[in-house]
Amino acid sequence: MKRRQFIKYALGMLGWSLAPVWSRPAASLLGAEMPEAVWVENGEPVELLRTATTAFGGLSTFISQGDVVVIKPNIGWDRAPEMGATTNPDLVAELVKQCLDAGAKRVKIFDRTCNNPRRCYRSSRIEERAKDAGAEVEQIRDFKFKNIRITGGEEITEWPIYQDYLEADKVINVPIAKVHSMSRVTLGLKNLMGTMGGERGSLHNHFPVKLTDITREILPTLTIVDAYRVLEHNGPVGGNVNDVRQARTLIMSPCTATADRLALDLFGLPLGQVAHIQAAFDRGLHKYDFEKLRLKKITL
Amino acid sequence: MTMAKIRRAVQILFLLFFVLLFLRARYPYETGLPSDVFLRFSPLAPLFDLVANLNVSLLFWPALIILLLTPFVGRFFCGWICPLGTTLDITSHLVKSPNNRKGIDVRKWRPVKFGLLIGLILLTVFSVPVWGLFDPLSITNRAFTVLLYPLTTLGIENGLQALSRISFLEGPVYTVYDWFKMAVMPEQQAYLQQVIWVALFFGGILALEKVSRRFWCRNLCPAGALLGFLSQFRFYERLVGDACPQCGKCNRECKMNAIPLDDANITSKVECIECFNCGETCPPKINAITYRWRWKPYHSSVDYTRRGFLNTTVGGFAAIGLAGIGLRNRRDAAAIIRPPGSMPEDEFLDRCIRCLECVRICSSNGRALQPEGAGSNLLNLWTPVGVMRTGYCEFNCNLCGQICPTDAILPLSVEQKQQTPMGLAYFDKNLCIPYAKNEDCIVCEEHCPTPEKAIQFDEKEFVAPDGSRRMVKYPFVDRELCIGCGICEFKCPLPGEPGIFVTNENEQRLASIGSV
Repeated sequence: MKRRQFIKYALGMLGWSLAPVWSRPAASLLGAEMPEAVWVENGEPVELLRTATTAFGGLSTFISQGDVVVIKPNIGWDRAPEMGATTNPDLVAELVKQCLDAGAKRVKIFDRTCNNPRRCYRSSRIEERAKDAGAEVEQIRDFKFKNIRITGGEEITEWPIYQDYLEADKVINVPIAKVHSMSRVTLGLKNLMGTMGGERGSLHNHFPVKLTDITREILPTLTIVDAYRVLEHNGPVGGNVNDVRQARTLIMSPCTATADRLALDLFGLPLGQVAHIQAAFDRGLHKYDFEKLRLKKITL
Repeated sequence: MTMAKIRRAVQILFLLFFVLLFLRARYPYETGLPSDVFLRFSPLAPLFDLVANLNVSLLFWPALIILLLTPFVGRFFCGWICPLGTTLDITSHLVKSPNNRKGIDVRKWRPVKFGLLIGLILLTVFSVPVWGLFDPLSITNRAFTVLLYPLTTLGIENGLQALSRISFLEGPVYTVYDWFKMAVMPEQQAYLQQVIWVALFFGGILALEKVSRRFWCRNLCPAGALLGFLSQFRFYERLVGDACPQCGKCNRECKMNAIPLDDANITSKVECIECFNCGETCPPKINAITYRWRWKPYHSSVDYTRRGFLNTTVGGFAAIGLAGIGLRNRRDAAAIIRPPGSMPEDEFLDRCIRCLECVRICSSNGRALQPEGAGSNLLNLWTPVGVMRTGYCEFNCNLCGQICPTDAILPLSVEQKQQTPMGLAYFDKNLCIPYAKNEDCIVCEEHCPTPEKAIQFDEKEFVAPDGSRRMVKYPFVDRELCIGCGICEFKCPLPGEPGIFVTNENEQRLASIGSV
């Protein structure tokens, strides 16, 4: 190799290795246009999701080539999708497709369910639809929970979290919007309990502090609140179609606390009445200033 | 292909069929192959149905076919079909049972099986229906449910986990593991009570193979006694030709010692289980043994005397007495939570054959059902009860009723089952967190599955001793809505004693499916 050639290559390599540095201002310039949250309403699950991801410039904004992606829907109960207790299967299937199109290497889906896991996976129709779309839908394996240290936890200093979740490159949290007698609502933050091992019932006592202690450590890349159906009574299990409202809405944000706070409008609840989301904001789990939030609202 | 070889193949096939049905007994139970069909092979089922209900139910059609064939061809069920018999044959190879000449002579025990059969009939007449404890199919199914299946899955699961820690094996091991979880172990590991007693009972029967081959079948099995009684005149016979030099091989090796050691020409039709080993042992050069139909069959007598019958009667009445003088403890009685759709208790105990198939299928779901111990009532031994601290009754599941071989648990539809209470939940306010600590919890309310929740709560202000105030949700049970499924008791986050528990109060028993 000639000296001149070497210098050329070396400079070239240096230039590329600095790419993240010089590309950042460009990205942030683009970012000025990028919303911090998107609210889409009046559509079917698939078009709601397509509209929302398009507003963010496609899912490739969040997902890189070769990523292992975990999608965490709510599969917690042995209920049919119509009962509004579990995340919409069409939405999950479409999300799997978009992840794979964006270059994801693998898409994994799981939930630590409250009822019999096989029943939940089946009745919710998430297993079937997500597998057809190309995801790996696996039962939770009890031995795959790893204790993580919670630095600065007020009540919780250590908690077991599912290994696949911890090892994923990107995580997409897809809760369904429901009322919940203990936490008032169950949305993105509460949905993350499905990745937690251990005796989760014990979290119910002093719930806001304990939940924000743990979720601070495991916040996802993206949160998509499925509010196509909203369970308004008898949550979180439901079981009566009359308790389900067709809200035909979807909320998407890279910030879980923000998505949750926006979703409170679905229930007409002020933040002050939902202690765990209030705690998330008080304790700084949010990424954005809610008063100055760049929210894009789209009605189909 | 000799008859003995065919018989062995058939035995293995039936055992595999039994195992297959056992493994398919799980959610989703949609194979179209009813797993309880093999349990209805039990020759005892129609007899005791007749004794208890003066009725022969066509539910037991496989057993009826066997009973109809037995007078013609003898105890072929024992030799060819019974999964316990096959298990014993395998065991005898493993433990190397002594032959009839070397081992001790156990023929004097033969009457015991007749005594047991007559005694069990007597007990059933006097409303102590415990024959299922001794039914060979129930015994096998119990051993599978409580011992063999949990042991196997525990071993394999732990083995695979250990293997997966070797880095280069991780990928393939997980593939095997996932298949294993899907096909063999589609649920969490089953942990059941009564393990030690079922193990002693089943292990004891296996251990007796060290004394003689088929000790259980020769001397103890009530089904064998019934089939033996029916085959005393059977038309299919073993004939020994003049070429027989009385070499003593066939009588020495006979599994049932049905050929007397000093005379190879005789077969006890009551004892012979048609294994055809004698024909196989007979040296090919001699080949003196043939089998054929004869329309004037000889008779073999049943080893059961009048004195034996008297002894049985005394023993039977003693057992009835023992069952009658058990402790009447109201706390124990309230803990007997039967599966949803169970018949009224007397009828239920009459029909239940203690096979634990419902417990097996429950462990693939909510895992509420457990085999009950004898406790204060002999009649409850190894019948199913809901133990809600180890599991709960899954709201959308009706599989125990679907799989019950005798309809002691009626096959309710899911909708019927959801409206049939099996008990009622009570709060223990000394333990329940909101009442004891005045802090929120209501995990029970969260999980309550009825469309309108049977656990509701009052939100009340609590004033702490330091004057601070907070709102606390205090739960309560709506007894009109509660179906006693026990998910509240199971999910209660307290260690040890739960803050909410289920008793069988308010349970609804059904006489027939139509009565919901």
